Amino acid sequence: MKLEIKNLTASINGKKILDGISLHLEPGKIYALMGPNGSGKSTLAQILMGHPAFEVGGVGKKKPSVMLNGTQLLGLSPDKRSRLGLFLAFQNPVSLPGVNVSNLLRSAAHEANSSKNQTKSNFNPALNVISFNEILFRQAQNISINPELLRRSLNEDFSGGEKKKLEILQSVILSPKYAVFDEIDTGLDVDALKIVARQLMNLKKQGCGILLITHYLRILQFARPDHVYILVKGKIKEKGGFNLAGVVEKSGYRKWAS
Amino acid sequence: MDNASLLRQSYKYGFHKPEKYVFKSKKGLDESTVREISWQKQEPVWMLKFRLDSLKVFQKKPLPQWGGDLTGIKFNEIYYYIKPTDKKVNNWQDLPEEIRDTYDRIGIPEAEKKFLGGVSAQYDSESVYNSIQKTLSKKGVIFLDMDSGLKKYPDLVREYFGKLIPPQDNKFAALNSSVWSGGSFVYVPKGVRVQLPLQAYFRINAANMGQFERTLIIAEEGSFVHYVEGCTAPVYSTDSLHSAVVEIFVKKGARVRYTTIQNWSQNVYNLVTKRMRVEEGATGEWIDGNLGSRLTMKYPSVYLMGKGARGEILSVAYAGQNQHQDAGGKALHFAPDTTSRITSKSVSCRGGRTSYRGLIQVFPSALHAKTKVVCDALLIDDASRSDTYPTMDIRHSDVQIEHEATVSKIGDEQLFYLMSRGLSQADAQALIVNGFIEPIVKELPLEYAVELNKLIQLEMQGSIG
Repeated sequence: MKLEIKNLTASINGKKILDGISLHLEPGKIYALMGPNGSGKSTLAQILMGHPAFEVGGVGKKKPSVMLNGTQLLGLSPDKRSRLGLFLAFQNPVSLPGVNVSNLLRSAAHEANSSKNQTKSNFNPALNVISFNEILFRQAQNISINPELLRRSLNEDFSGGEKKKLEILQSVILSPKYAVFDEIDTGLDVDALKIVARQLMNLKKQGCGILLITHYLRILQFARPDHVYILVKGKIKEKGGFNLAGVVEKSGYRKWAS
Repeated sequence: MDNASLLRQSYKYGFHKPEKYVFKSKKGLDESTVREISWQKQEPVWMLKFRLDSLKVFQKKPLPQWGGDLTGIKFNEIYYYIKPTDKKVNNWQDLPEEIRDTYDRIGIPEAEKKFLGGVSAQYDSESVYNSIQKTLSKKGVIFLDMDSGLKKYPDLVREYFGKLIPPQDNKFAALNSSVWSGGSFVYVPKGVRVQLPLQAYFRINAANMGQFERTLIIAEEGSFVHYVEGCTAPVYSTDSLHSAVVEIFVKKGARVRYTTIQNWSQNVYNLVTKRMRVEEGATGEWIDGNLGSRLTMKYPSVYLMGKGARGEILSVAYAGQNQHQDAGGKALHFAPDTTSRITSKSVSCRGGRTSYRGLIQVFPSALHAKTKVVCDALLIDDASRSDTYPTMDIRHSDVQIEHEATVSKIGDEQLFYLMSRGLSQADAQALIVNGFIEPIVKELPLEYAVELNKLIQLEMQGSIG
């Protein structure tokens, strides 16, 4: 039960963005990933989820590999990865005119149930629309999401904070085995930040392994990471404990710049 | 030609034994065909004359040079009148596989499937139909197929028939006027509000089905009726030309909504003229959904004749491979304080082509008129195409006009987002398309909305190799 990234190199339009990433994520732990702008954090998140725009390669003769509980994710489409238990909370989620979060998650639930070999335990096939919506509204309340947002087109004219909360809501409903949160804390006020952090801790308690991409110490104070990684120019330059985040907060990334 | 000689001639071309045989006109169209049709139906002389006059108009008018490519229509290869019993496909298995398959997957009941496929000419819903008829007739509402309407209420029909869309209007209106058969006749008396939508076609009334159906609706002062025709399942037709005419009279303070969902098989040219005359304080609404067919040209129109009349046109079109949907709407403002709104949503997929074609005309008499046109197109892939042809003819300055048009493509980022939540590519596309047309679909009766959503899902599955 682990997510293992090995020798992962990625480029777009000939420009190298990730340069030999190897990471090992255990369930029930939070891994903070920090790094300056343009260091490749979001690219890593997108590649893990299967974004088709990037060219993925290995290091020298060593092939790249992203294994989730023994299944190779590379080459799988994003929906297959999702059904294996991976989740990505987007830094800038797109708006979806005419599609509300209830439609979206019910379609996802339907799909999960119809793929027989990879069912998700949290979706009960007998769950009808009404009870599904009840769960959705209850969870939304926990995250203090205005219920009206659940009926509106997802992310259309949502504030920055509302978008982030809707990403959190989806992670709660989909209950993944591994989740990547790409700057989930950006643009949140302190109350929202605490709510988001509490949900991350809940996921952790349920055994979800979390990769938390952030620029700031603040969220890490509420959702304390077990490990902190520093990504600079597509390479993991250092790993450490929570105090490493404090070093970044204090001195920035200069010491890893060379 | 006087009436007596018209009658004599119609006998000359007629057949024997009117009750018990299957009739099919010969291929192609000339005066004798028209006489045969009229004689078969035992119509009043004025209708025969109307048909014959219309035929002359049809023969004189050239094909429209705008819109879609009509050169593929082989007018001489068409049977212009076939009695319904002759339209049967003998066996369910004889239907094209994709049609059978679609019926199964949309989940249409067996009996309806056979009717739709032409296997059964009569979908057995007589009992439902009869009970609805009873309720309606108590209120004085008439709901009949057009042929029966003409038989039972010849004077009423004569007063309105062809008055809003005369044969001279366009070549295909002339064609319909000369060979029409089937369609619906609806009359709603003053102040009567019909609560249930009147549903034509397979759901209730088999006699409506036809290549050249003709519908006439008269809503008297202060009345209300919602008329629904069509179905989302593909209608299999061996006939390659469908050309209907729909005339609707909305009297003072009345409201009529006319909802159409059509999904013709891919060989069909679907060329339809639809018009509403909306009087003072009245409201006319078209909800028009076009799927299937090879080429559809359809622009439902509202003629806003009385002060404060309101017209609304919602049009949704889906064009797949080898299909061209040329659809839109027209609003003509003749009176003060009239308002119109046209909302068009089109989806093109697998090289399909959609065009929005619209006309807004505001005459000098229409002070303080207001109009708004919104047309949005969604392209599923790079091979597909969408065009907009809006025309505005505004004859004075005291008018409020809004026009918005957008063309968008399903974004890779939208697809990635939805797929990251576990949706297959086809389901992700279907969700986006259904979201796009949602503002119109929510106006449809529920069963149609559900079927349409399912159909889009099937189309999207088909669009991914």
